[in-house]
Amino acid sequence: MTDLPLLLIGGGAAGAFGALLGLGGGILIVPLLTLGFGLELREAVGVSLVCVIVTSSATASVYLQRDQANLRLGMTLEMFTAVAALGGGLVAFLLPDRVLAIMFAALLLFVAVTMTRGRAAQSDDGVSEPDGVSAERRDGVDLAEALSGPGYRIHSLGPGIAGSLFAGIVSALFGIGGGIVKVPVMHLIMGVPLRVATATSNLMIGVTASAGGLIYLFRGGIDPYVAAPTAVGVFVGASLAARLAHRVDLRVLRLLFGVMLVFTALQMALRASQ
Amino acid sequence: MKPRGIERPIGLLLGFATVASISLLAAGTAAMAASGIAPLDRPFPRFDLAGLPPDLANLHLSGLLWLGLLAVILTPSLRVAASLVGFTAAGERRMAVVALAVLAIICLSAAVGAGG
Repeated sequence: MTDLPLLLIGGGAAGAFGALLGLGGGILIVPLLTLGFGLELREAVGVSLVCVIVTSSATASVYLQRDQANLRLGMTLEMFTAVAALGGGLVAFLLPDRVLAIMFAALLLFVAVTMTRGRAAQSDDGVSEPDGVSAERRDGVDLAEALSGPGYRIHSLGPGIAGSLFAGIVSALFGIGGGIVKVPVMHLIMGVPLRVATATSNLMIGVTASAGGLIYLFRGGIDPYVAAPTAVGVFVGASLAARLAHRVDLRVLRLLFGVMLVFTALQMALRASQ
Repeated sequence: MKPRGIERPIGLLLGFATVASISLLAAGTAAMAASGIAPLDRPFPRFDLAGLPPDLANLHLSGLLWLGLLAVILTPSLRVAASLVGFTAAGERRMAVVALAVLAIICLSAAVGAGG
């Protein structure tokens, strides 16, 4: 019976870390469930997708009310992430657990390097205001302009779509939100301000994980006894962390997180080799 | 004066749906603890859409858990459906088509998952 509180606490820690670092939390939940609780990787991915949707819905709700997320851009790109997640969800049931574990270990190392290198300094340039463009005008202009926001114009829609497809596959294969792909694609390639890109990515994650999650749900890949307490823990952890974020030194946290991810990647690779 | 966007009401709806679905999962988790079910008990129940209404009517634990999980997974679809209504009402036909396409993909995911 100790597993239930441990799942709540573990989910809470993953949710808190995820919220503080701007991640969906899946990158922590999958190793927690496989290495900590002995679940098979595919089962862990199914549970993680549920948790990622919880984090996305909770944070996207706030971002939308504050007008920080670009709803139109997010919905356009999530058409492609969702299609790719559908494909990724099907492929995940064909790949051996060991192959998935090795790929996940590589992903963890990539995320560790990305996180410890740090993000570009956040600026306030992307905080959107209520949109002043009329519906008639939006339908009359080219798509990139219609999806642009106050103070920025979107470009390179094609590469953005390609990045979204990749993010969708990664999300369904590994049970993560895919923000680690979407945010750089929107910010660096499409010219979306970092703050808007982060908020929009959070919004998109829900639909992406939902498309993959439905495949896992109907194919018996979600364990309700593990998913329910972990998701509740994630929700509580993420909600608390959002209130404490301003008191935490993110540089130290990011460094600790990077070290932890490298250690976890090694553990995952070791498990795959056994 | 800037026109009010559809983002704020959709954000409110998303927040409400998230709290509602998490409340169902929290109730299910409490019921698990009360009935002495350990999370790592095997085999775990598989999702059965046809079995959900009778499970709920008979107050089975699995019915409550599946309802909560289904609500969580479908919450983003609710946001997309609300966007479809909002874009249609605002006369943004192109975005309404995008919202419809996203909903279609989510339905396709469910159909593919259920079919295989």
